[in-house]
Amino acid sequence: MTLAEHKWTMVVDLDKCTGCGACVVACHAENNVPIVSEEQTIQGRAMHWMRIERYWEGSYPEIKARFIPLMCQQCERAPCEPVCPVYATLHSEREHLNLQVYNRCVGTRYCQNNDPYKVRFFNFFDPIFDEPLTQQLNPDVTVRSAGVMEKCTFCVQRIRRAEERARLEERPLADGEVLPACVQTCPPGALVFGDLNDEASAVSQLLSGNARQFKLLEHLGTEPSVVYLKGGTSYVST
Amino acid sequence: MAKISRRDFIKMGAAGLLATVLTGCQNPRRWVTLEPYVIPPEEQLAGVATWYASTCRQCPAGCGIIVRVMNGRALKIEGNPKHPLNKGKLCARGQAGLQVLYNPDRLPGPVQQTERGSGRFQPISWEEGLNTLYDRLRQAGSGTAIWTGSTTSGHLLDLFERFAAATGAPSPLVFDLYSELNGLAALENADRAFFGQNRLPTYNLEQADVILSFGADFLGPWLSQVRYGMAFGAFRSQSLGKRGYLVQLEPRMSITGAKADWWLPISPGTEALVAQALARIIADGPLGPAEWATKANTLASEIDVSSVAAASGIPVTELEQLAHIFAAATRPLAIPGNALAAQDGQGTAIAAVQALNAIAGADGLALSPDSPATSLLKPQVSPFGDVQALIERMQAGDVQVLLIHGANPVYDLPESARVVDALAHVPFVVSFGPIADETGVQADLVLPDRTYLESWGYDVTSPGFDLPAVGSQQPVVTPVFDAHSTADVLLTVTRGIPTAAAALPWSDEVAFLKEIIPQLGPGAAGGLDTDVLWSRFLQHGGWWPATAPPPAPHTPVLSQSVQAEAPQFQGDEQEYPYFLHLYMSDLLSDGRGADQPWLQGSPDPMTTVAWQTWVEIHPQTAQKLGVKDGDVVHITSPAGEIEAPVYIYPAIRPNTIAVPVGQGHTDYGRYARKRGSNPMDLVGTTSEGLAWATTRVKITPTGKKIAQAGFENKAGVDEGFINEAFPG
Repeated sequence: MTLAEHKWTMVVDLDKCTGCGACVVACHAENNVPIVSEEQTIQGRAMHWMRIERYWEGSYPEIKARFIPLMCQQCERAPCEPVCPVYATLHSEREHLNLQVYNRCVGTRYCQNNDPYKVRFFNFFDPIFDEPLTQQLNPDVTVRSAGVMEKCTFCVQRIRRAEERARLEERPLADGEVLPACVQTCPPGALVFGDLNDEASAVSQLLSGNARQFKLLEHLGTEPSVVYLKGGTSYVST
Repeated sequence: MAKISRRDFIKMGAAGLLATVLTGCQNPRRWVTLEPYVIPPEEQLAGVATWYASTCRQCPAGCGIIVRVMNGRALKIEGNPKHPLNKGKLCARGQAGLQVLYNPDRLPGPVQQTERGSGRFQPISWEEGLNTLYDRLRQAGSGTAIWTGSTTSGHLLDLFERFAAATGAPSPLVFDLYSELNGLAALENADRAFFGQNRLPTYNLEQADVILSFGADFLGPWLSQVRYGMAFGAFRSQSLGKRGYLVQLEPRMSITGAKADWWLPISPGTEALVAQALARIIADGPLGPAEWATKANTLASEIDVSSVAAASGIPVTELEQLAHIFAAATRPLAIPGNALAAQDGQGTAIAAVQALNAIAGADGLALSPDSPATSLLKPQVSPFGDVQALIERMQAGDVQVLLIHGANPVYDLPESARVVDALAHVPFVVSFGPIADETGVQADLVLPDRTYLESWGYDVTSPGFDLPAVGSQQPVVTPVFDAHSTADVLLTVTRGIPTAAAALPWSDEVAFLKEIIPQLGPGAAGGLDTDVLWSRFLQHGGWWPATAPPPAPHTPVLSQSVQAEAPQFQGDEQEYPYFLHLYMSDLLSDGRGADQPWLQGSPDPMTTVAWQTWVEIHPQTAQKLGVKDGDVVHITSPAGEIEAPVYIYPAIRPNTIAVPVGQGHTDYGRYARKRGSNPMDLVGTTSEGLAWATTRVKITPTGKKIAQAGFENKAGVDEGFINEAFPG
């Protein structure tokens, strides 16, 4: 049985994102992303595969704050890929994902340097999980050691699990069956995930003809798989 | 000697291990026992996850959760898709629940200390702990006082109530910082006055086209971050491409303010005045449909719009524009925020905002469904008067034994409330906290309760959206530490106290729950006999009916105008030139999340700072004071003082400073201890409550500077070339 090709895509509706941070913690919990101490955070070594960026716009009192959730953009033409000397960061043609092979990584950090979105994180030290916090670790995801680069995988372990289940039941994957941890928890439904190759999927429907869509740093030609929907406006009669 | 085959040897080993586990816990049928793989439990397969439904207890809302368990380890918490409140969604704090369970600083077992406040705990056996508690409770009789929090499980509160009634002790107090900063007691009271129902209001954002939020940070840790977050998503994408319009009036931009279409920096404490001015403008216009103007005429007070404009800092033209937007909407909604609940005359202030809903006939958008017709108990938050009464009783020496569960009064209440002093007058203090927090350190005996992922219980969902619901709580793993359920502790010790024994006849908490839960009857999950009803309750994560019952007829009690005054602030304007704006940290909430590294280490959404406290100051004010980011300032109020580093925040009134609540623990485990400062120390008391929304402060630079653990890069901000948001 040949595996179906998927174009995994995440849509982020900036009009709905409330910046609450549920996705950030869900990602830490799902992917065994270590929490970096206060001292190391000050050194700029904090690690969050998923983060909320906040931008100020205008000045007081006509000021606005804009939230942009940022994770690996899973670029089709990823600038981080060609610079890896050991093929630790490489492309999956079948799933259109940007993979990270931890046991190949030798820690040159070239990929981080070349990454325009700054969503790759380097393990400067071995992660510390004070006992019994090790009990919380997800057995589906490797705990990365010092000297290894890591980043958002679109919860590839969840993609695999759903694919395996579908294969056992001899049926194609259904839309909505694969939910990365951030998408599953997002209270306002600002994050939507699915297969863009499937015309009936929620992401295809949401993006078709949607004038609000844009991609981050599109002019670099990275062709990200994360699509943002810019904030809308309401017209109120006064 | 008979030869032992390899097979026999494994069997013996298995039996031996099983026996050890059985004697380890006092009631084995309540957990899936750890067994060797030679006899695997039916539902446990190596490498295959089992999901258990329960209820989140990180805040009082009570979202349904499902927990992924593999080989006896809890691995991930997700929202329960079936639960009517959160429908599969969770907030950051809900996601972090595993770190409550696996927290390394949990007490390994019961402890006692001879010198209060020393923190030198001696481990004791459960037998000794129970006997000590029994002796003290027996001697105290009606001199027992019980202090619980807003997340104490319903069944435990019920047992406490029964125990108090039987021994003649006063009813348990329900009060913690979460309930105080959310104004839960005031909102419930105001709701009773307005709708004739004693429940938290539920604002159905998804049905509104215009929302005026008077400082309600409903997207932050307010009544239910998850449900209001979901409703906000629906509010932004309504049918036929409609998008709701949100106006937020608040002195400092919250995350709700960040999402507003129009953010209005209003002078602290003037929210109720603005609401009254809007009603006045609608009545005078008259604006909107004819019946709105009629109602507005009855409900609007005689208030001078231009004086409101002067007090609130919002020009008359903008007030008129607001009133026009409100009156031109089809289904507008006004939401009273938590700061209103912290003012003297809170009921009037909330009613002034609710009057706008009455004018627009929007009370239907602000109603909760009827509670399930049962005797199940929902913690009713005690008004602050009850807290003061208890503290006075303690000081008068009328309390012999104080039992504290689910609250941390030493941290929650400012020094001005004199809790530590009152505790010194109580001969015996017992804490049931799983971690030795500030209150635990002031206790004589700590009998650690189990955390919510290893406990039994129920929670009447409040605020109740869509359907009346009762969430179930069940252990998803075997207890991690040698902690005992407080309900079982209570049932055990009362067996020897004749007056209480008759009132609490149950062998353990599960027997009690199995008696009261099936009385709910078959809900959406069905079931006929008691056992099936009980197991469906656990399996589905609670009880709720298949369809919503018809809403009970209600008449808004509000029929005449209310006259809300601007509140009195503590501190002289000359000496204390700045308003203090306190808000709950989005991640640490009232400080109870400070022991969880996932919450400590995640960046705050507005400032991106983790691990620290900061004080938000407007760029112009910072320039005037000569301070920059990270400069430590001394903040003084009439009630107290703290130190905190400056975070230059462009979306705050220049005469207001804001500090998040949540840090500043002196105990509460390694992640929380000695980290930042607790701004509640700045708060004084008033006749009606804590003045956390009505305090003025002064600021003095200390000359010290610290590095801020922010995730954003502020390079260039100090050099003054960043953008117009940071002048100078």
